[in-house]
Amino acid sequence: MAKKWGQRIRNWMADKMDLPQDVMMDLPRITMIGQIHVYIENHRGLLGFTDSEVRLLLKQGQLLIKGKALVIRTILPEEILLEGKIDQVIYLNEIGGQK
Amino acid sequence: MKNQWLEFFYGSVTVRVEGKGIERFLNVLIRNGLHVWNVKRHGSGTATFTMRLQDALQIRRYARHSDCSIGFLRRNGAPFLVKRIFKNSGFFLGAVAFFLIIIILSNSIWGIEIKGAKPATEYKIRKELDQMGIKVGKFQFSIDSVESIQRKLTNNIGAITWVGVELKGTTYHFQVVEKKQPKDPKVLAPQNLIAKKKAIIVKRFVERGKPVVDINDHVEAGQLLVSGLIGKEDGPMQAVAAKGEILGETWYKSYVELPLQTRFKVYNGKEQQKHSLLIGKFEVPIWGFQKVKFKEYETEKNEHAIHFFKWSLPISYVNRTFREKEDIIRTYSNEEGIKVAMEIAKKDIKKRLDEDATIKDAKILHEAFQNGKVTLSIHFQIYENIAKGQPITQGDLMND
Repeated sequence: MAKKWGQRIRNWMADKMDLPQDVMMDLPRITMIGQIHVYIENHRGLLGFTDSEVRLLLKQGQLLIKGKALVIRTILPEEILLEGKIDQVIYLNEIGGQK
Repeated sequence: MKNQWLEFFYGSVTVRVEGKGIERFLNVLIRNGLHVWNVKRHGSGTATFTMRLQDALQIRRYARHSDCSIGFLRRNGAPFLVKRIFKNSGFFLGAVAFFLIIIILSNSIWGIEIKGAKPATEYKIRKELDQMGIKVGKFQFSIDSVESIQRKLTNNIGAITWVGVELKGTTYHFQVVEKKQPKDPKVLAPQNLIAKKKAIIVKRFVERGKPVVDINDHVEAGQLLVSGLIGKEDGPMQAVAAKGEILGETWYKSYVELPLQTRFKVYNGKEQQKHSLLIGKFEVPIWGFQKVKFKEYETEKNEHAIHFFKWSLPISYVNRTFREKEDIIRTYSNEEGIKVAMEIAKKDIKKRLDEDATIKDAKILHEAFQNGKVTLSIHFQIYENIAKGQPITQGDLMND
């Protein structure tokens, strides 16, 4: 319950103070350049990686990126830059994507 | 983002990972601050990625705690490049040595050719050149300019009138013109000997002809000394070429003026050298950075273009010599002044006379010291050959 309250206050503050949501709420920020690049900030680690699928851990849930010939251009503790032909970016919620 | 050039500078390695849990292994690396990029998956059990060289040293530690085995594939970047250059430095050194040797060989003397000289003269020239340091195999930088070689050769070797010196590539060409030695005098036509100038006969030596004057006779210019007509008193006269030496005492007067004080500029033997390379118009000093210490000096500049095969490069070697000059004031006392003036007068008069003339006596008629100058008037008594040939014409014969 306390966590939920904290979440609500953060949400409200971000809303009222005009702050970017990703900073306040630890959400991933995903930047895509067409189909060739995807740049994800604020991830929590790499879960799975093949040349057609990349699974990333988020603070809440997971992020699944599907495509072809995927290559990790750069990977840092909280950032990742993927290259290849990206087809889908899918959010998997905790209920759906059990580890 | 990482800087690609910085990575190049530090060097990077491509790593191949095999096994299970590659993702976990990557996460561990990243959390520990190791930079990883270009991660590619090859099938289910292998992946390759690139990382910094300095991080690669630690990777074993993390790999031990995971289920993966690692191997290094490729090395990129400056550290490896440098290593390779060192390994292949032989080629590079060889190339440098090649150019160096070519330049050295292009700038040494490979031949000396002498044309137009007799073997004896050629030998003399070669000896003289040896002394000047011009030999096959020598460096051109250490050698004087073509003009000064020419001057030295012409001065030092009497047998040549002129020598053309030319430096063609690595060969010196000498074009020699030898002096023509005078030929023996021809048989002379019938002649008398007459006096060149007014004189008193001191000595006579007649080879042929009939002397008509005696010792201690006073003769005027143009007077007959030895007749070329010989024969008996009454018989037919025969015209021959009179030949002989009539030594007469002649008189000359000369004036000499000599300043007692003279300023001279002389080199005192001290010199400084500077060496530099001239590249285009830009001069780079190589040796001799000191300032010239002399107050008054003369500069001699020698420039040698550096050759590469037959081409001369826009680089030349410049050698400057600075010679110190000194002011010297020479002062004569009155007596010294007279003595020196006398010497000058003697030298002067000798120049005007034949080689076999001798100065018998010199008398100072008048001496004056004025405005720091000594003025001498000298009377010379000279013994010289006064005989001069005069051809006997047909008309003379008829008259006699």
